[in-house]
Amino acid sequence: MAEKFHTELKNLKTETLEMAHLGRFMLRSAVDALIRQDKELAVSVVARKEEIRAMEIRLEEHCYQLIALYQPMAKDMRVIACTLKVITASLRIGRYGKVIANIAKKISDQPHIANLMSIPHMADLVIEMIDDSIKAYESDNIEGISEFSARDDTIDALRQSIFREAITYMMEDPKSITRCTYYILVARYLERSADHACIIAENVYYMETGERIEIK
Amino acid sequence: MSESAIITTNNVNLWYKEKQALESVSIKIPKNKVTALIGPSGCGKSTLLRCFNRLNDLIDHVRITGEITLDEENVHSPGTDVVMLRKKVGMVFQKPNPFPKSIYENVAYGPRVHGVKGKTELDQIVEQSLQHAAIWDEVKDRLNDSALGLSGGQQQRLCIARTLAVEPEVILMDEPCSALDPIATAKIENLIEMLKKDYTVIIVTHNMQQAARVSDYTGFMYLGRLIECGKTIQIFEHPKEELTENYITGRFG
Repeated sequence: MAEKFHTELKNLKTETLEMAHLGRFMLRSAVDALIRQDKELAVSVVARKEEIRAMEIRLEEHCYQLIALYQPMAKDMRVIACTLKVITASLRIGRYGKVIANIAKKISDQPHIANLMSIPHMADLVIEMIDDSIKAYESDNIEGISEFSARDDTIDALRQSIFREAITYMMEDPKSITRCTYYILVARYLERSADHACIIAENVYYMETGERIEIK
Repeated sequence: MSESAIITTNNVNLWYKEKQALESVSIKIPKNKVTALIGPSGCGKSTLLRCFNRLNDLIDHVRITGEITLDEENVHSPGTDVVMLRKKVGMVFQKPNPFPKSIYENVAYGPRVHGVKGKTELDQIVEQSLQHAAIWDEVKDRLNDSALGLSGGQQQRLCIARTLAVEPEVILMDEPCSALDPIATAKIENLIEMLKKDYTVIIVTHNMQQAARVSDYTGFMYLGRLIECGKTIQIFEHPKEELTENYITGRFG
């Protein structure tokens, strides 16, 4: 029985990783669509929203079934608790990808202002945090998430700087208001995505150690 | 464990002939709490339980070293009255074992042995004990019927009432639900929750979910050793020892 449960738990983790990679892929592709003004890519990201939502429902259901059937304890219980959070965080990251892709569609016909400011750089850092959090979940290893607090501070600072820069451009030229407002929104969505990477990291830490931490 | 301990064992070793069944067991049982002992078959949990009221004395070729105290008195000291010890430390077994007598007589038996003679007083003890064991309403109209006519779950609660009738301080329960169906089990578990207000309960169970549900503290035993003991929530959420982790997640045992 325990063997069957542990096989199921392993499968749950594998499927959750697939979902996490899809969320990450949607965000990366959305930012790429924004940078390259690639409307087609943006459309393809939006098209995957149903898929990731269906994954969320299926995987959550799987977690509840494992709890109901096996009443897991100790690390087994913590793996499921963490998995539920990873599922939610991955859905949110994917959804921010979808929203950014919608923005990319809307402004793909107009030239970038200031080369999208720090958005491409900020996106790279956020994606790295997401990658490291997923890797920590996959490998049961918390080394890669040890600097998350400082990395999250950098992300917050970048969002703030994009906000200030965008305001400056808007004051200079009212025609830039639409694009700059979207940049501010994109920066906010990226920052929230980094927060979700932090949530994954916090929960992987709990999964591994049984202790709660807060990444601020 | 920060709560005051009612039973303490210090470095207890026990042998059945040559076979060592307990190895350096030191545990503190907190007063008015439920402590569960878990572990795979043959790990020594029932043996440890039986040390607390010296039930192992009844088995030939048993040798014990180390110290076991109840209310800070050594249970093995020459002055210990074993009958009084077993009055203080009552026991409920795996299979309900009512006497082949009436329901009333089953409960009145203990107090009678300990010298209670008055009918009114006995009536009072019987009613109170049956109420404490949450079985009064089911049997109050047939106290003179044979106890053997009760269902398994009722018999087990009657055995608990029989234990309560002599006003113990500690109740030892050795797999009290393993012969019962889920509904009777739930009734016993609710009862354990109520009993801890007035008594200290130590329960041996192979059912980890049950240990998690009913106990405040849990001790995990393996091959005669107490591997880990702590708050139940800590043991089941994040045990410190890898052996405990492997056992409660079903990787062995």
